Amino acid sequence: MTKIVYKHIHLENSHTLAVYKSAGGYQALEKALTLSGDDIIDEVKRSGIRGRGGAGFPAGLKWSFIPKDDRAKYLVCNADEGEPGTCKDRDILRYVPHQLIEGMIIAGYAVRAERGYIYIRGEFYREAERVQAAIDEAYAAGYLGDNVMGRGVRFDLAVHRGGGAYVCGEETGLIESLEGKKGQPRLKPPFPANIGLYGGPTVINNVETLTSVPDIILNGGAWYSSLGVDKSTGTKVFAVSGHVNKPGNYEVELGIPLKVLLEEYAGGIRGGWDNLKGVIPGGASSPVLTKTVCETVTMDYDAISKAGSMLGSGAVIVLDRSVCIVRAIARLSRFYRHESCGQCSPCREGTGWLSQIMQRIEQGKGVREDIDLLLSVAGNIQGKTICALGDAAAMPVVGAIRAFREEFEYHVEHGRCMVA
Amino acid sequence: MPTLIIDGKEISVQPGATIMEAARLLGVYIPHFCYHPQLSIAGNCRMCLVEVEKMPRPVVSCAMPVSEGMVVKTDSDMVRKGRQAVMEFLLINHPLDCPVCDQGGECTLQDLAMKYGPDRSRYHEHKRHERDYDLGPLLETEMNRCIHCTRCIRFTDEVAGAPEMGAVYRGDHMQVGPYTSRPLTSELTGNLAELCPVGALNNKPFHFQARGWELKNSDGICAHCAVGCHQRVDHLNNEVKRVMSRRCPEINQTWLCDKGRFAYDGLTRERLQQPMVRSEESNQLVPASWAVALDRAADLLKRFKPEEVAGLASESGQGAEELYAFQEFLRHVVGTPHLDHRLRQRDFSADEVPLTRADLSMNTPLSQLGKADVILLIGFEPRYETPLLNLRLRQATLAGARAFAVHPRQLQHNLANLTQLVVRPGDEVAFLDGLLQELGSSDGHRSALAEAWQKAKQPVLLLGNYAIHHPQAEAIRRCAVALLERVGALSTQWNGFNRVAGRGNAAAAQDLGVVPHRDPGYRRLERHGRNAQQILQGAANGEIRLLLLLGCDPSIEAVDTSLARTALAKSVVIYIGAQQTPAAEMAAVVLPGLANGERPATLTNLEGRAQRSDMAVMGPVQAKEDWRILRSLSDRFAKPLPYNTREALQARMAAADHRYALDGLEAGELSAACDHKPVTAGLPLATVATSKDGLLLVVEPPFFQDDAIARRSTILAQLTLGRSALGTLRINPEDAGKANIGDGQRVRMICGERNVECIASLDANVPAQVVFGDMGQRAALLQDLCDWDGGFPQVSLVGL
Repeated sequence: MTKIVYKHIHLENSHTLAVYKSAGGYQALEKALTLSGDDIIDEVKRSGIRGRGGAGFPAGLKWSFIPKDDRAKYLVCNADEGEPGTCKDRDILRYVPHQLIEGMIIAGYAVRAERGYIYIRGEFYREAERVQAAIDEAYAAGYLGDNVMGRGVRFDLAVHRGGGAYVCGEETGLIESLEGKKGQPRLKPPFPANIGLYGGPTVINNVETLTSVPDIILNGGAWYSSLGVDKSTGTKVFAVSGHVNKPGNYEVELGIPLKVLLEEYAGGIRGGWDNLKGVIPGGASSPVLTKTVCETVTMDYDAISKAGSMLGSGAVIVLDRSVCIVRAIARLSRFYRHESCGQCSPCREGTGWLSQIMQRIEQGKGVREDIDLLLSVAGNIQGKTICALGDAAAMPVVGAIRAFREEFEYHVEHGRCMVA
Repeated sequence: MPTLIIDGKEISVQPGATIMEAARLLGVYIPHFCYHPQLSIAGNCRMCLVEVEKMPRPVVSCAMPVSEGMVVKTDSDMVRKGRQAVMEFLLINHPLDCPVCDQGGECTLQDLAMKYGPDRSRYHEHKRHERDYDLGPLLETEMNRCIHCTRCIRFTDEVAGAPEMGAVYRGDHMQVGPYTSRPLTSELTGNLAELCPVGALNNKPFHFQARGWELKNSDGICAHCAVGCHQRVDHLNNEVKRVMSRRCPEINQTWLCDKGRFAYDGLTRERLQQPMVRSEESNQLVPASWAVALDRAADLLKRFKPEEVAGLASESGQGAEELYAFQEFLRHVVGTPHLDHRLRQRDFSADEVPLTRADLSMNTPLSQLGKADVILLIGFEPRYETPLLNLRLRQATLAGARAFAVHPRQLQHNLANLTQLVVRPGDEVAFLDGLLQELGSSDGHRSALAEAWQKAKQPVLLLGNYAIHHPQAEAIRRCAVALLERVGALSTQWNGFNRVAGRGNAAAAQDLGVVPHRDPGYRRLERHGRNAQQILQGAANGEIRLLLLLGCDPSIEAVDTSLARTALAKSVVIYIGAQQTPAAEMAAVVLPGLANGERPATLTNLEGRAQRSDMAVMGPVQAKEDWRILRSLSDRFAKPLPYNTREALQARMAAADHRYALDGLEAGELSAACDHKPVTAGLPLATVATSKDGLLLVVEPPFFQDDAIARRSTILAQLTLGRSALGTLRINPEDAGKANIGDGQRVRMICGERNVECIASLDANVPAQVVFGDMGQRAALLQDLCDWDGGFPQVSLVGL
């Protein structure tokens, strides 16, 4: 199967400029610099690539929103990979930082941004070192700086390490943090494309999205869109974790059946397919899919969304029959309570409330009304918050109750777990 | 201009306006907590959700810009459900202790809970408990009630310019409070209590004093400085309980400074309760009836020739009515030309020039100050002379204006872009003359100030307390006018000349002729009387035999207090006023008057707007309005004052000066600001005086103690302005080191034959070879070392 972002990671010392170049690196940049910015944006639009960070917004469209005025523009790479279960970007940062850098130079050139930042989550210390080393190499080789590849294009790139807040993965929270402020998402509108970092027009893309850009330029948008399925084009890295025999990052074409991903790539479910309880398909915030759904669903944006969940960041968390779903969700709720920035009322108060009820049920102190209360509180959070963190906290609770209500009921009635 | 429909009503608004702003224009109320028209948009309470057609989710109206053709519903099912959800979230961790909460009855959370809140709680977990803070003497905290709207944080950051509040931690552990455990230092702290939509930040002096619904309120105008802020005075059982701001976009927007808000507790202290006359047997003041006291006063007044009688008034604390009656009584009933209110002024040379009102007050309206591009402060510390004016200057600097300050020491300020030029006392005229010459010459290196001033499109120049009371005040004023003329900033489009006479009602005292050379309405007199300085000198050498004092005490307020004490001792004193003072103790007759807030009054602010302030509480039973005292006194003369009612007096006042014709002009409406051009009258700069050598003493009025009521307030007495204690002598640390004087040490300050003992405090804002002290501190009366003719006293210090 075609690989794009992981195509070089098997090479020894793939993170060095020499290996990357010998594998054809920076050829896309050379080609891109002969095109106009609008041509590049059109090519990316043609590829149909959607944002790989979780929201799935078409990347080319995002770039085209940048106004063509005189203000300084910024390109930001969101490498604050914090969604529980997700570790796909880490391998890119570790093994192919130059591919990301190349993608960023192209993107910066396309939207006329002369300054780029890579916001790396604080825990990725070695990764930040590697990326910095790659940036230093790129400066030395003339790919970055005042005169990119001698073509009079200017692009500077800097690494910024985050402080460990999940909410700084939200693009405007990230901008605030990057500006040195408390990581709290901004009100939208205005959107970053108009008023973003330091008040300038800003493009923010996920690591995987930007790393895909060189291949799109080199092989053409049409080639890229031939991969995957309609409206979910190209390849995607799925970070499969949990009760599978071979957990890991797998880059596959979008549209692959979930069962194929789990059985053929991830080595099958622990204890066989029938031992599967459910799958969280797109990171902690996506509602859990039951085994019945997992039999048939394909891994693309529309199919997963039709099945009532989200493709999200592509973190596939596999739960077998040994898992107490109440306990699992209680843990997630605690995570969201801890990570809420506290700015807006529904999220600040709601995530705490959800977590406390979930904990009570899990400890066997719940009552039957608590289950509907959970649904009601979750519903009251959704759609009323400044950023998506409130929704992210509510959705797994609602999804779990919808799919496994009997387990919740067993918990409140018997004061203990259904699974041993 | 986009047009939208809100609840079926169409409105066109400026592009970029929000749905909330459009709804406010339409008079449609959208519930909110965090939104405040004077603060940046936070959009965090989520209470102002509205439904917009074609949008899938409710949107927050405070943050959503309008667009053409929007159809907004503020009370649909979706909206109500959303607000109910938000309300429940806000209440789950709220203590619901309304019965013991100061905010109860006037609380936005309580009101909206009645409309959108559930009648019982579904929340069965433990409620959050948060720590309280000591924010100083003005604010009481109960942080459990906080709903994290961040209004207080945004206010301190954006408006007050003292970023002392913040939020630490995240999620439902988020805590709003001061970053440090120190009390807040801003002069605008009281606004936080008013701004807080719940009972988390409370007015400490008001804590547990009354419930909001018991209070009666009256519309007042603040007289504690000359800005003239609109305030609401809340009172119960004839006692002022609290002062709140009233919205006035032209003047105070929605704020008040701490002085205006908290001085009220000084109102009832040290009051004169009944008329008193000095007994001939015991030589003590003994209570008397009004008839006896007035008869005695009239007898005394008639005992001397009219030219031997003089009057001194304090502008702050008096209404325009009192000031008008005072000058009319002295001029037309007694027949003396000697009267003045300018006890702090040293330079009276301008009395010879026909100055107009424009020379004596502000010409740039407060609401226009924010548009200035270059600001020049001369002898003006706006933050601690006129705090609400300072907010306008701060807004201008935040919008990019450059500010320069010419002052004898470093200013305490919160302007964004201020260059401080410290000029030695006495060198100001030379400095300004140099600036004028720099502007005149076409070549050479120019200072940053000259550069900015030359390029300024809308410059403003503000003369403050120090400049007005400077020994060369008139020369400074003329330089200021010349500077503005040089850049064409004295036109009708933009007049940048502002003399900020900061004491309450100073403008009315000028307008109504409480000066020796002018009648009311700026009519010059042929025959000038004696000015304040000459009156006291005359009294000291026996030329003036009787002093009629209206609410003023020269022994505390005058430039030369030792001269003033001699004058009071040598002459017969009739004291009309509200407070007990040393001068009242020396008087032959004491006639108790009323203070601001105890009678309706007309107060003129520094822009020249006359405003009516209502009566809030009744004063001491026997006390009378001061103008009525003068009216009764005049009955004992051949030509009594021709008015028996306040209305008749006001009509006469209006006839004398049309700006006081306030028919129907109550607090809501504002009279026009000034529209004259200041007088230049040439620059007498042939002999530019320079400063003396040695250690110079500058005496300044302390901000929180600058009038009779504020001086007696125990609440204000606890505030320090973030500098050394009141009444100490501030000295440059290096100077102190050389003289072997330590912080807090007692020192004797000597000037010629006079000397004063005081406590030194080291202050890095003070330049070398100058010391600063507070005016009017009875413990250490530094003005004893000053005299009118000598400029700034040259002193020496001896450590004790």
